[in-house]
Amino acid sequence: MSGSNEVSIRLSVDDSVAAVSGSPSEMTDEQRLLFNPPIDIYETPDGLVLYADLPGVTSEGLDLQVQDNRLTLFGRIQQRDSDQGAVVHEEYKVGDFLRSFILSDEVDHDRISARLNNGVLRVELPRAVRSQPRTIKVVTD
Amino acid sequence: MPVFRWGHAWDAFQDLEREVDQLLQGVNLSLHGVRSTRRFPLINLIEKTDHFLFTAELPGADIKDLEVTSADGRLMIKGVRRAPEEARDDTFRRQERFQGNWQRTIQLPDRVEEDGLRAEYSAGVLRITLKKAPSSIARNIPVTEGSE
Repeated sequence: MSGSNEVSIRLSVDDSVAAVSGSPSEMTDEQRLLFNPPIDIYETPDGLVLYADLPGVTSEGLDLQVQDNRLTLFGRIQQRDSDQGAVVHEEYKVGDFLRSFILSDEVDHDRISARLNNGVLRVELPRAVRSQPRTIKVVTD
Repeated sequence: MPVFRWGHAWDAFQDLEREVDQLLQGVNLSLHGVRSTRRFPLINLIEKTDHFLFTAELPGADIKDLEVTSADGRLMIKGVRRAPEEARDDTFRRQERFQGNWQRTIQLPDRVEEDGLRAEYSAGVLRITLKKAPSSIARNIPVTEGSE
């Protein structure tokens, strides 16, 4: 491997085959699991609203980035030592969350806002306001 | 009359799948809007020396709708996850998150103290600590040599 401290993460594009939510998709160099969080996308008169389930992620661990036309969300979990013990029943493993989306041109990148509450991330993607039509005054000689 | 006909093998599979799905859905009370085949919420149970730790990935839960009960050696959690305000039938572009009523029950391997249950919810994770009943905590029994 590269031997550097870089963590190699493969980005999953939203328009690929939808992964079963919650399935681990990648192991990073530090042996942390990485999950695709399940999301909802709704359309409103003002644009789009995206919800993502990120249980265990707080604002310190959340990284939300827009670059070019791509929105990437990365949620980092703090592993709790108190959660260690003899496993009686295990349905989920704890891991980080990563998912990215291609935004259409109609989204106003500068006005994207987000809120994280109880492990649910809500991102508002407002539609770009179309400029008002400009009437051109015609002068007759 | 044969149930499976080779010429339509895939249809038969789909029928069978549908049958099994319906059977399973009858068992699982949380039906509405289930898109993934997984249950909601996902739960873990670990055992420590003197208590159990039950955790559930439950983002967006409303505490006032959350019910936690422990009886007969079983722990039950129940709640509802409502659709977000933006959701109207014709407006979703994608819907993967669970919505609706849900309930999970788990059998506890040992007896727990009825009053020794503590639950906390933060960052979308529900954590329930269940103290084991004193009789369930393994104790080393000292063996004394008998006199002949």
